[in-house]
Amino acid sequence: MLLQISFKSGTPIYLQIVDQIKDAAASGALQPGEALPSIRPLAEELRVNRNTIAKAYSELESLGVIETLPGRGCFLKANHSALRKEVRRKLLIEEIDRAVVQAHHLQVPRDEFLELVHERIDVLDDKRRANENQKEA
Amino acid sequence: MNSPTPVIQIDNLAYAYGRAEAVHDLSLKVQPGRCYGLFGRNGAGKTTTMKCLLNLLTPQRGQVRVFGLDPAKVEVAVKRRLAYVPEQVVFYPWMSVRETLDYLASFRDRWNRKTEQELFERFRLDPAQRTDALSKGQRTHVALIAAICPEPDLLVLDEPTSGLDPIVRREFIETVIGAYQEGNPGNRTIFVSTHLIAEFEGLIDEFTIVDRGRSVLTLDADQARERFQKIRARFAQSPPELDLTAALRVRRNGRELELIVNGAGPELVERLRQHNPEALSTEALTLEEIFVAALKS
Repeated sequence: MLLQISFKSGTPIYLQIVDQIKDAAASGALQPGEALPSIRPLAEELRVNRNTIAKAYSELESLGVIETLPGRGCFLKANHSALRKEVRRKLLIEEIDRAVVQAHHLQVPRDEFLELVHERIDVLDDKRRANENQKEA
Repeated sequence: MNSPTPVIQIDNLAYAYGRAEAVHDLSLKVQPGRCYGLFGRNGAGKTTTMKCLLNLLTPQRGQVRVFGLDPAKVEVAVKRRLAYVPEQVVFYPWMSVRETLDYLASFRDRWNRKTEQELFERFRLDPAQRTDALSKGQRTHVALIAAICPEPDLLVLDEPTSGLDPIVRREFIETVIGAYQEGNPGNRTIFVSTHLIAEFEGLIDEFTIVDRGRSVLTLDADQARERFQKIRARFAQSPPELDLTAALRVRRNGRELELIVNGAGPELVERLRQHNPEALSTEALTLEEIFVAALKS
């Protein structure tokens, strides 16, 4: 997978990497068991501090998204959330609240908002299916 | 708390050349494993500061400590654990590249032959070439090999990429990230002075901006990009009258407004939003833009 970072987003670089790998895992662009790029070449390629990549990977590992096999590298885990259900819900609620506040400011009413949520989930499902088919082909 | 000894600690350093004060009351601390940037314009006092760390100059006031030691008292103990790449690299002109590296390796406890070989190949250097026939870029390559092969705990880089072409500058940074940081990343500390900030952006963990010998701003790089923001807003009619004193800089052009802020971003965005702008966006400033904003305000 090809990661992109931007110094203008205001999001710390390590978090941008965490988010992109989580996105790729959710959409199936990165499949369980697939290897992540190793730290040194990725750091050289993105021209960022090696410790930044290491921090992103250890964050992903503590979230249960990836696992490190000694001497072999980092891999996407099959069934990943290591967190308890309440914690998972709490993390998600924070994100939903942000979107709800944004919808209020942009004057998007409840029904339209919910419709959009369905639509976005469908988009993600389509992506997953497309990635699945590609794998079988 | 049992915190590790800082690799570099500078307290209230002052140094003047005659009556011209180069460094005035400068303090900073670099923790192990960090990449620390010292940013300033030409003549801001960066090189003077570095020379005090290396005992090439003796502080007139204040003190410097490297690995907790006084470089003026135990110069050898300090220098065996660090490597220094200056802006102008000078070698004995009659030696070949191979002889130069062997000579420099003879002063070191350790010399990683594998890294040396890897970098020779990467830079396509000819070991038999005399150093007086090397280009400026090739001299920097040799200096970098000499700095990295001893696997020092601290790499001191003084304007290492000025005057080099873009390819050599890229190779330089990739080598520092790859070959230097690889071995023992938790203990590989970098202290780099530069005014070419953009190319070091991804490497810098923390920085101090100096101007006319004084420290203007010290921040963690991620925090800096979070605090310094550019806010752009466009309104249907002319922009409303707002209290914008919290902004560092305000630009107006017809229906458009652009603000540079330090930390006051969220409140200002909220205030602008209440006036229903047609468009409203924020982006982080890069370290180079922060440098310019900090020196202008």
